[in-house]
Amino acid sequence: MPYRIVDLELSQPLSALALGPEQDGFGLIARWQGRLVGFVMKSAAPGVTMAEDALRALVEREFGTRILAVKAEAALDERWPRLAPDGAPSLSIAICTKDRAPRLRRLLGSLDAVRSTSRFRSLEILVVDNASVDSSTRDAAQSFPAVRYVSEPRTGLDFARNAALHAATGDLLAYLDDDVVVDRHWLSGLYQAWADCPEAGGYTGLVLPFRLDTRAQLEFERLGGFGRGFARTDHRAAKLGNPLHPVGAGIVGAGCNMAFDRALLLSLSGFDEALDTGAPLPGGGDLDIFYRILRAGRTIVYEPRYAVYHEHRETLKQLRRQYWSWGVGFMAFLVKARRTDAALRTRHTAMIRWWFLDKLRALAGAILRVNLERARFVAVELLGGIQGLLGAYDRSVARSRRIRKQPRDLAHSSS
Amino acid sequence: MTWRILHLDLQAGLPRLEAGRTAVYTVFWWGSLPLGARAFLPEELPLRRDQLLTLAAELVAEQLACRVDTLGGAARASFDGRPLIEPSLAAVREFEGVADAMNDLARPAEGAAADLSVIVCTRDRPEALASCLSALVSQRRPPGEILVVDNSAGRTAEPACRNFPQVGYVHEPRPGLSRARNAGIAASTRPLVAFTDDDVEVHSGWAAEIVRAFDSSEVNSVTGLVVPAALDTEAQRFFQFEMGGFGARYVPIRFDGRFFAETLRYGAQVWRVGAGANMAFRRSVFDRVGAFDERLGAGAAGCSEDSELWYRILAAGGTCLYEPRAVVFHHHRAEWVDLRRQMRAYMRGHVAALLVQNDRHGHSGNLRRIARQLPRYFRYTAFDVLKNGKSDRGRVLVEEIRGWMAGLVFAVRPRWRANHPPAPPGTANAR
Repeated sequence: MPYRIVDLELSQPLSALALGPEQDGFGLIARWQGRLVGFVMKSAAPGVTMAEDALRALVEREFGTRILAVKAEAALDERWPRLAPDGAPSLSIAICTKDRAPRLRRLLGSLDAVRSTSRFRSLEILVVDNASVDSSTRDAAQSFPAVRYVSEPRTGLDFARNAALHAATGDLLAYLDDDVVVDRHWLSGLYQAWADCPEAGGYTGLVLPFRLDTRAQLEFERLGGFGRGFARTDHRAAKLGNPLHPVGAGIVGAGCNMAFDRALLLSLSGFDEALDTGAPLPGGGDLDIFYRILRAGRTIVYEPRYAVYHEHRETLKQLRRQYWSWGVGFMAFLVKARRTDAALRTRHTAMIRWWFLDKLRALAGAILRVNLERARFVAVELLGGIQGLLGAYDRSVARSRRIRKQPRDLAHSSS
Repeated sequence: MTWRILHLDLQAGLPRLEAGRTAVYTVFWWGSLPLGARAFLPEELPLRRDQLLTLAAELVAEQLACRVDTLGGAARASFDGRPLIEPSLAAVREFEGVADAMNDLARPAEGAAADLSVIVCTRDRPEALASCLSALVSQRRPPGEILVVDNSAGRTAEPACRNFPQVGYVHEPRPGLSRARNAGIAASTRPLVAFTDDDVEVHSGWAAEIVRAFDSSEVNSVTGLVVPAALDTEAQRFFQFEMGGFGARYVPIRFDGRFFAETLRYGAQVWRVGAGANMAFRRSVFDRVGAFDERLGAGAAGCSEDSELWYRILAAGGTCLYEPRAVVFHHHRAEWVDLRRQMRAYMRGHVAALLVQNDRHGHSGNLRRIARQLPRYFRYTAFDVLKNGKSDRGRVLVEEIRGWMAGLVFAVRPRWRANHPPAPPGTANAR
C-alpha cells in the first residue's frame, strides 16, 4: 500500500532504489541542484528494487527537459539586463490551527530550519489558535523562539485568518495550514517570486504530498492532488482559452500555502468569514480571496520553489469529506460571487453548468469502469455542490453573524 | 477584440512584450530558428522579465533536447504525434554553453537549393498566387525550379505567372488537387519536390531548410511548420486556437515504422505528419509507392491526399521528418462559411482516405477509426460544446458530422473503391 517517497538530487549519481516489503510504489521528488524540478508516482511490485538504468530512463523521460530548462534559464538570466528590486519587504507567517499541537510543532520545526535563509527585511511567525479545547496549541507555539501566539476564540478558519491579518505587521503575509511542512527553499522561493514581481497581490506555491502511506492519500494524489506544476505561472484577470476565468479560482493555488500583500488584503476587508465556518461549510475562503484579488486587477504569481509538503487525509472517509467540502465550498463561493459581482454573472452561471456536467461525466465514467470508490468521491462532491447551491452560503452568513456577536471571552470560555 | 501577430527574437536580448489594446499571437525565434508560439490576451500583458525568462527557458530547452546530437536529436513521434523528448541524463548533466549551442542551431542553412523543385497548385486565386510567388522568387537560396500548376479551366493563373519569368507554368484543366500535384511532379525535374499552396507565403529560408533536412537525414518526406499569416477574423482564430491550426509543434519529430505500428489499430495517425501547405518528397519515393491518389484531395473527395501518401511511405518502411525550421505562413479562411465548408470537406476527405487505406493495405484499423474513433470524437466534442457553451464549435461539429456521412457514401461505391493503383509520375496527364 504505502509508496516510498524519495527526494532525488539529479545532479548526483543515481543509485538503485529499493522498496520495503510493504511498499509498492515510488513517489519521486526530483531536484536539480536543490531546485524542485518535478514529481512523479510510479507503482511497482512490493519489495522490488528499481535498478539504476530503469530509474535513469524514468528520470530522462520525466525530468530531462526540465533540467535543461533550468540551465537555459540561468544562461538567459545572465544575458538579459536585470533590475534589482527596491528594499526587501517584511514578512509575517501565519499558521491558523485548532487542536493539532503535534502537527503544529512539526511545521514550526520546519520553519525554524529555513529561518536563516531569509532575505526579508524582518520575519515574524504568528500562531493563531482558533478555539482549541486545551492549552496544547499555546504550549507548542511557545516552545519555539520568536513565535507570537494569537488567540481567536471565534471558530472558523476565516475568523482566524482575519485575526492574523490584523495582528500581523509584515508587508507580506504568508498563510500556512497546520497539516503542511515547508520545503527547504520555501522562504527563498517566496522571496524570489516577490523580487521578480513585487507588484503582485498574492503568491501561491507548490504543494507536494508529505507521505503516501494510505489508500486515501494515494488516491488523492492520483486524482491530481494539489499539483499546479513546476513552472512559475501568472494569474491575472483573464486567461486565453479559459473564457470562465477567473471564476474557476482553484487553478490559482491552494489555501494551505498562500501569501498576500497585506495592505491589499486589508483594503479588500480580508477573508469572508462566512466561508470556512467549520463543519457545515468548511471551504471556499481561499477561492473567494483569489477571485477578489484577480478581479481587483492584481496579479497572483504561482511559484513552485515556494513549496510545502501536505499531509493528505488519511482515511477514505476523511477524503470523501474533503471532496464534499470542496463541492459545497466551491458552490457557496459561486453563489456569493454571482450575487456580489454582477459583471461576470454569465460566467458564474456557465461555471455552475460546467461544474455539474464535469462531475456528472466523472461519475458516469467511474461507474462504467466499476470504480465505485472513485464514484463515491464524485458523488459526495456533487452532493456538496447541490448543498452549496441550495443556500449553504446564506445559512453560513447567518451562522457567522451569530458567532461574531458572541463576546470574545464568552466564546472562548464556552468553547 | 483585435489580434496582431508578433515575431520576437530572443537571440537579440531581452524582448519586450508590452501591454496594449490588442491581443497578441507571439512567435518566438532564436535568430532564424523558430522556438514556439504563445497567445496572450490584453489582460495577460505586459510580460515581465521573469515570465519571459520562464517561457524562453522552456522553449530553448526543448530545442536543445531535440536538436543537439549528444542530447538525443530529433524526437520520435508518440502515438498521437507529440514529440517524445527523452534527453540522455548524462549528457544533460554535462551540457554547458546554452547560448553558444543555440547560436549554432540558429545558423541558417547555407547550402544551395538547386536540387529542389517547388510546385504550387492553384485554382482561381490570382491575387493570392502573386504574393505566394513573390515570396518564392525571393528565397535566400533559390530553388532549382518553381512550377505553377493552374487547375482552373480558364487559365486564370497565367497572367500572374507572366510577372515572374523564373516561374514555369503548367496547365492541368482536369479538376482535383491530386491531379494538379501529379501534373506538377510529372513536369518537374529535380530530385527533391516540395509543395506549397497559393494561400501561403514561404519564409525566405524555406527552400534551403527543406534541402538541409533531406541532406542531413535519409528520410523520404519532409514537412514543416505552418504559422498563421493573420488572425484578423473570428474564423481564422477559431481555426488556429480551437481546431489547432496546422499544428503548433516547434521541434523536429520523426515518423517511422514504429509510429505506424503503434497507431495502426485505428488506422495510423498519418495526418499528424504535417500539412500539404508545407511538404516535400524525394522524387524516388514516387517510383517506390506512387504519387498522389487522384480520388482524394480538394476537388475530389476533399482532402487527405497528402496524408494518404505518407501512409504509403510509412507502410513501405519509409520515414517522414517534421522539421519546423522550414517555415511557411498560411492565410486561414477568413469567413465562417468558407471555414465550415472546409471542415466538412476535411472530414469527408478523411473518411475517403481511410477507406482507400483500408482497401489498399487491408488495414482494417482504418475502418475502426471511421466506425468507432470518429463517432467517439464527435461525442466528446458535443459534450465539450455543451459543457463550455461553445456554439461556434457546435456549428463546425455539425459540418464535420455531415462530412463524415458524405464520406461514408464512398464506402458503398464499389467502382470508386476498386483499387486504383496510385498514378506513377509521368502518367498522370496521359490517361
